[in-house]
Parts: sequence; structure tokens; C-alpha cells
Amino acid sequence: MTAWPQRIIEQLKAYNVRFLSYVPDACGEHILRAAREDAFFDILPLAREEEGVGVVTGQYLVGERGAILMPTSGVGNSINAFASLAIPYHIPMPVFIGWRGALGEFNATQVPMGQALVPILESLNIPHFILSRPEEVEVRVNGALKLAFALEQPVAVLISTELAGWKEK
Amino acid sequence: MINSLEATRFIAAHVTDEPIVASLGNAKYNLFLSGDRPQNFYLWNAMGLAISVGLGVAMARPQQKVIVLDGDGALLMNLNALATTAVRSPKNLIHVVWDNRQHELTGGQPTATAFRTNLAEVARGAGIEHCESVETQDAFEQAFLQAFHQPGPWFISALTNSTRSPGRPPKSPTYLKHRFRESMGVAPE
Repeated sequence: MTAWPQRIIEQLKAYNVRFLSYVPDACGEHILRAAREDAFFDILPLAREEEGVGVVTGQYLVGERGAILMPTSGVGNSINAFASLAIPYHIPMPVFIGWRGALGEFNATQVPMGQALVPILESLNIPHFILSRPEEVEVRVNGALKLAFALEQPVAVLISTELAGWKEK
Repeated sequence: MINSLEATRFIAAHVTDEPIVASLGNAKYNLFLSGDRPQNFYLWNAMGLAISVGLGVAMARPQQKVIVLDGDGALLMNLNALATTAVRSPKNLIHVVWDNRQHELTGGQPTATAFRTNLAEVARGAGIEHCESVETQDAFEQAFLQAFHQPGPWFISALTNSTRSPGRPPKSPTYLKHRFRESMGVAPE
């Protein structure tokens, strides 16, 4: 069976999502490790997540597709960028979020944002899909990308610790 | 001191089909006054993100010069983007910052550049290759022409007046997006 990060990479390629901007986290690193092996991808490290909302907007404006990889905390850093740029300007923007502060969390300071994650996405009307099992990765990522480019809006894919594993300490 | 509208008009007179991304505030108002065109992308909000949008455009259109018009207050809100820009160092990117040392739109409250911060030095420290700081129209024109005709990335900080610009570009975000994409030769989704 193909590993789940590879399945995500294959879907990104199928949708011609060439640019990946990221702030690292353990979940996103699984995807980046697979992407670095493939010359198709152009990978940009960000200092702060909201920059990625701007960068992907710019790429889309000239006809190229990008996605953002960020930790849960980064969604907090990006709220106004989604609300005042990607959403009103209708920019398709797949966002892969490593879901900290939930199942198996060891760090109490991650939990409030982990609990706020889904309500924040819902309050912004950002569709979100959770990846928990390897066999559902293909259909959910395929569907999320399809929706993002049809709706021309940000769409979030939450990578759970059930799928990616959690930090012991 | 530079009149930012006059300096923006100088830029507008030199571009042909180059994309220009303009920050919220007087940067985009003056760009509109200097000549509205579909290749202008106006940010109505998302304070600080003009340079990030410009970086995305520059990465995806490496063969074309890309101009970002920013303000000191906006850039100070997203200073980390200078470091991210330096990571990639796009040769086609020109980042102009109109530094009036204040948040003019909200009543003229001082920004950090009214105290000790020098944005060109910050940009240089972040790793932007060519950084200029100009205080006269002549010096601005010289710096811009150099940036326009030579490989970058370029960062130009221009000390400007603080006149409120009466320019008001179209407000519909989707209209601005679609006409910009069309002007860049991009087909609709």
C-alpha cells in the first residue's frame, strides 16, 4: 500500500499544485519529505503562516497553483489573511494542517488552539476534511482539491494524530 | 522629501504590462490615481501582505518584472516577509516602500520609522540583495530605473510626504482578481 504522504503528493500533482509554502510541523514534514523527492514541486519555507496566504494568492493570480502546509498554531496566525484576502478575492487555497492539541497531545499549551481549530474554520466558512486513516486519504484529498478549485476558496485538510502519530513528550 | 503621488506617476509612466501589487492605504490610492490598469492588483485589506502576494507573483512569473508598492506601517506588520523574500531572492522583484513615518489613514500615529527603525537597513539585514534609501524625487527616479532595468531583488525605501490620496480604485475583490488574471493571460478556472 502506498504511504499516506505519497498519496497526498500524487493528488497535488494530479491537480497541478506545484508550489508548496510551509511553516514546518511534524505532520507537514511527512508530506514535504515526499515532495522534496519530486522535481515537480517548488517548495518555499515561510517565516509565518499568513505569508503563505499572500504567496499562494500571488501564484494563483498569474495562473499557477499553490498550497500551504502549516501547524494548528499557524491557523491562528492566518485568520485575518484568510478573512480579508483569500476569501473575499475568491482564491483557491488548499491548506494542510497538522492537528495538534487533540488526540494524544502531551503539551497543554497546544490544546486551546487545537480545540478552536474547527470552530475557527467553520466561522470563516472554510470547508474542512479530516484525514484519520490511510485508506481515506486519496478520496478526501482528491475531493478537497476539487472543491477548492471549483469554489475558488480556501479548503482545509486536517491531518490527525491518528494518521500521522503523536509526539510522546 | 518625496511626493508619493509624483513618484508613483513616475513608475506608472515606465511600466508596460508589468504587474503591480499595491498595499492597502495611500499606496493603492496613488497607484489608481496614476493610471488604473488591469495589471494593478489592489489590496483592500490584508495589511502587510502586499510583499507576500508580490513574492508569489514573482515566483510564478520569473520572466517578468513585478513591482510591489507598500507602506511603512503595512510592512512593519509583516517584516518577517523580508526574510522569506530573501530566501528565494527573485531577480524580478522590486519592492518600493513609501515611508511617511506614520499611519496616515488612521490619524497620523507614528510608526517605528518615526523613531529609530530604518527599513532599508532591515531589508539589507534580512538578506535582500539591493537596498536603497531615497529622500528626493531625483534619487527615487534613479533608484527605480536601476531596479527596473537590472536584476534584483530590489528594495527601495522612499521618504515621502503624508498627503491623503483621494484615489479610490474599484472595490469588488473578484472583479480585481478576474481582470488581473485576464491581463496576465490566464484563462478562468
